Amino acid sequence: MKRRLVLWGGAALGILLLVVAPFTFLHQAYLVHIGIVALFYAILASSWSLLAGYAGQFSFGHMAFMAIGAYTTGLIGKFVRLASAPTGTCTEFPLGGWYLVLQNATGPNCLERGMAQMPPGSLIVQPPILVGILAGTLLGGIFGWLIGVLVLRLRRTYLALFTIGFSEILRVAINAEIDITDGPNGLELDPLFPNGLTLFGRYFEPTDKLPPYFVMLGLFVVSMWLMSWLASSRFGLFIRAIREDQEAAAALGVHVVRYKVLVFVVTSMIAAAAGAVQAHYIGVITPNILLILQMSLVISMAVIGGLESLVGAAIGAILLEFALEFLRRSFTIGTLTVDMTTWRLVFFGILLMLTLRFQRNGLIHPLLERITRAEALRETVAKRQAPAEV
Amino acid sequence: MLAYVLLWMVLWAMVGGVMTPRIYARKDLDVANTGLAGALMGAALGPFGLALLWWRSPKLTGRWLATPGVLAVLLFAAAFARTYPGNLCVSNGSFVVTQVVNGLILGLIYGLMALGLTLIFSILGVVSFSHGEFYMIGGMLVYYMSVVWLPGLNPLVALVGAALITFLIGVVFERLFLRVMNTGQVERPGEYAILVTFGLAFFLQYLTLALVGATPKKAPRFLDYPRLDWPSPENPWLLRMRAGTVEFLDTVSIATPRVTAALIAMVMLLILMWFLYRTWIGKALRAVSEDRQAAAVTGINPDTMNTLAFGMGTMLAGLSGASLVQVFSWVPWVGTLASARAFVIIVLGGMGSLPGAFVGGLIVGLVEALGAGCIPDPQRAAAYIPAYGMVILTLVLLLKPTGLFGREL
Amino acid sequence: MAEIALDVNQISKNFGGLQALRDVTFQVRGPELIGLIGPNGAGKTTLTNILDGVIKPSSGTVYLNGRRIDPLPPYAIARAGLGRTFQVTRAFRRMTVMENLLVPAMAKHPTARRSDLERRAMEVLEFLTIDHLRYEYARALSGGQQKLLELGRLLMLDPDIIILDEPFAGVHPRLMEVIYRYITQVNAQGKAFIIISHDMETIFTLSRRLLVLNFGELIADGDPEVVRRDPAVIQAYLGSDSDEPWQPERRAPTA
Repeated sequence: MKRRLVLWGGAALGILLLVVAPFTFLHQAYLVHIGIVALFYAILASSWSLLAGYAGQFSFGHMAFMAIGAYTTGLIGKFVRLASAPTGTCTEFPLGGWYLVLQNATGPNCLERGMAQMPPGSLIVQPPILVGILAGTLLGGIFGWLIGVLVLRLRRTYLALFTIGFSEILRVAINAEIDITDGPNGLELDPLFPNGLTLFGRYFEPTDKLPPYFVMLGLFVVSMWLMSWLASSRFGLFIRAIREDQEAAAALGVHVVRYKVLVFVVTSMIAAAAGAVQAHYIGVITPNILLILQMSLVISMAVIGGLESLVGAAIGAILLEFALEFLRRSFTIGTLTVDMTTWRLVFFGILLMLTLRFQRNGLIHPLLERITRAEALRETVAKRQAPAEV
Repeated sequence: MLAYVLLWMVLWAMVGGVMTPRIYARKDLDVANTGLAGALMGAALGPFGLALLWWRSPKLTGRWLATPGVLAVLLFAAAFARTYPGNLCVSNGSFVVTQVVNGLILGLIYGLMALGLTLIFSILGVVSFSHGEFYMIGGMLVYYMSVVWLPGLNPLVALVGAALITFLIGVVFERLFLRVMNTGQVERPGEYAILVTFGLAFFLQYLTLALVGATPKKAPRFLDYPRLDWPSPENPWLLRMRAGTVEFLDTVSIATPRVTAALIAMVMLLILMWFLYRTWIGKALRAVSEDRQAAAVTGINPDTMNTLAFGMGTMLAGLSGASLVQVFSWVPWVGTLASARAFVIIVLGGMGSLPGAFVGGLIVGLVEALGAGCIPDPQRAAAYIPAYGMVILTLVLLLKPTGLFGREL
Repeated sequence: MAEIALDVNQISKNFGGLQALRDVTFQVRGPELIGLIGPNGAGKTTLTNILDGVIKPSSGTVYLNGRRIDPLPPYAIARAGLGRTFQVTRAFRRMTVMENLLVPAMAKHPTARRSDLERRAMEVLEFLTIDHLRYEYARALSGGQQKLLELGRLLMLDPDIIILDEPFAGVHPRLMEVIYRYITQVNAQGKAFIIISHDMETIFTLSRRLLVLNFGELIADGDPEVVRRDPAVIQAYLGSDSDEPWQPERRAPTA
């Protein structure tokens, strides 16, 4: 199978490039940082393309799931502790010899008061970062399931409006509940590796960019693999059939409800995981990640890359993120100074509209499709040109 | 106490909302509105109301929706008053009336903007996700025309200018990007419309940001009201008018820019009604929204009507922004919230329904004003303003997706 | 294979106050070839939608091979062995022909190997003479080819009973032949057909049993020759403003 060879070869080459990149001339911290952000957007854009492009569910609430992941792990880091003895003052649950302690958001700090009464030598530790990320992912999935069930009956425009509503309510609530979320000032999170990391005999500072890069790359590879596998299995076939014609799909034996909800769950979990990792990397999250403009950025990346192609959307996101970063430089023509930090987004908007209008399948996807479908098309043409026997 | 009442209401509303359609379906009755009726009945009267509803299963006329609706609101209000006896909304009648009047005034303008969105939807079948950006541009244009470019220009002239320009932007966009939807040049027109108007919003917002920057702008009030006391200067209990505020009946005090904005909105509504119901073009527009093909046969060019409707819709959004730029301070992203509010209103009123947009606007204005004024923690109340509308949207989409005046889906 | 048995018992359906179907009862035993006719608005599509599970009957039951299917959702009914086409072609336009065929196959056989299903799909495509289009997107197909594609999907679902809603409407004569051959051959392989059509000639030549619906009631059920002379049937057609003239003459299909 030549086609399969091309696909696997392409994937392997792409991953290899991403792995090696930070060790080449691209090793500057600034570039690695952009790389992490680019991979983050790539995960979001490709999972959105699975949701919107494959399943036809035009949800504008994707960033909300991302934020759920980020805030879950952030809040766990802020409020949840593991103690070796009961505090007696906080809400707490026994957990195999240890105690899961929930601190209160308002009033005097129960943990500090409790510590005075605890036996000497008792330990109070933060749950590991990984637990926070996993919990965020899980909660993202639960909310994805909830939203998926609620929007089952809604058609395209209504679904878009409903998900915008969900996202906005979440943003406003995070902004307003300052006691819990620290509101617009942002919630601070520990770095991914709070104590640094020693790997292959080399020590990495907690602020070092390479470990987060590889964490994000790992998440990217895993989620791309998961989504590609899903997309090429019956799951992918069914959600596309549902997108095309829900009733016809049901008449052919497809369990429409299950797959519609499932696609919400899967994509929300992936978005939540990306959000959780990114939040720990950046170190602070604000409700502004829920602004509609952030969502438009992800949508634009997916559309320009190719809405119906996971890889296209991911490549689109990476390329555009780098382009956006490098276009930051302002320049001067004569007396006119162009502040590119804003203008680059204006051009981005034009590019989005023009892509939609003239190159509906995106700019990257058609290129990929030429490679993957070449064989199939050759065969079709050959058959058609052969003398027709009736 | 409020929390328990609320919990009780929500619980029974959920039971009613979920179970009533099933019970009606099992009895082989019309299931339209059953979810809403069940939820309202559950919220208002709890299990007793639901028992009555399920046992009698009456035909759900407006009365069966309105009565429990009003009861539920009253129940909530009573519980609120018992819990927070010292709250301004409970103890101070003039505060409540002022909030209500303020809410209705803003609601009128929101309604005007939503009217534009619903007009676009009823003719083009498209929900424009860039509607708020035209609102923002309308305000910016008035500010720039009357303050920066031509200082001293009468703001009302600037208002007309802003209307014309937003109309033109809308027309150009429709011709360049939406016209192709009807010619089969783009696939999946429904998706395309969502994404391309979304792209336009992105573009317009950043373009404005790049051109004018992020500093908030506020236009001075359009009109200075004359000093007027009525019935007499000694005892002006009916009306006390100053340059900046108007006070009615010694209790209701409204800032004059809001009054001006409300007057503009009313004049615009009247003009719009006259245009839609009395002129040939208006009748043609309504004909196209009723039945596109039939209208085309009678010699109306539906493509032209599309362009006109989109232009008019964006113009209405621009006018709303233009009349509010003297009330609120203006930044390039004010449109996002305005967009969201317009969505809420047209979903609440029923997509494509003109009276629905008007009534929906008033309701949303009221809810926002009362919510902002009455929620106990003032800081939190202000922070939650954008969410009130979204809660309405969510409830409507779940319980009655056709809205108040909507056609069946 | 066990004998095919569809039992439709006293199906009624009200929409608000309107009675769309009243006490419709009939049985299908074995690989029958049944035509379902009736003037516009007689309830043919409503009946199809009830059998398919898209809408639920107000009263009455449907049993398929001894199993009650009327409360089941459409996808379960499809897997239980009842397939249907729609009046308007509903191919999955942005999927290839092969993918279109794999959807029902995978829904019905969740554990089967993909390559086996693809091989089966190739056979079906060859039978329908559209095998050269297998990697083509369905939207690139002509209207008639899309109709064949729908029939192919049904074969992949492998139901016991196939309901075809207007299979001949607006189809090129040469394709009509293919569809005609499809019906007779698949029928000969042991599948029952219920065919809804306005094309009286074809229905009369093709079917061996005719059901006639009028105003939601089954007014005739039996041999086409007999049904044709049934006064109630003639009355139903002459008495209504139906578009299509009653053509009792029997003609061979255009072959």
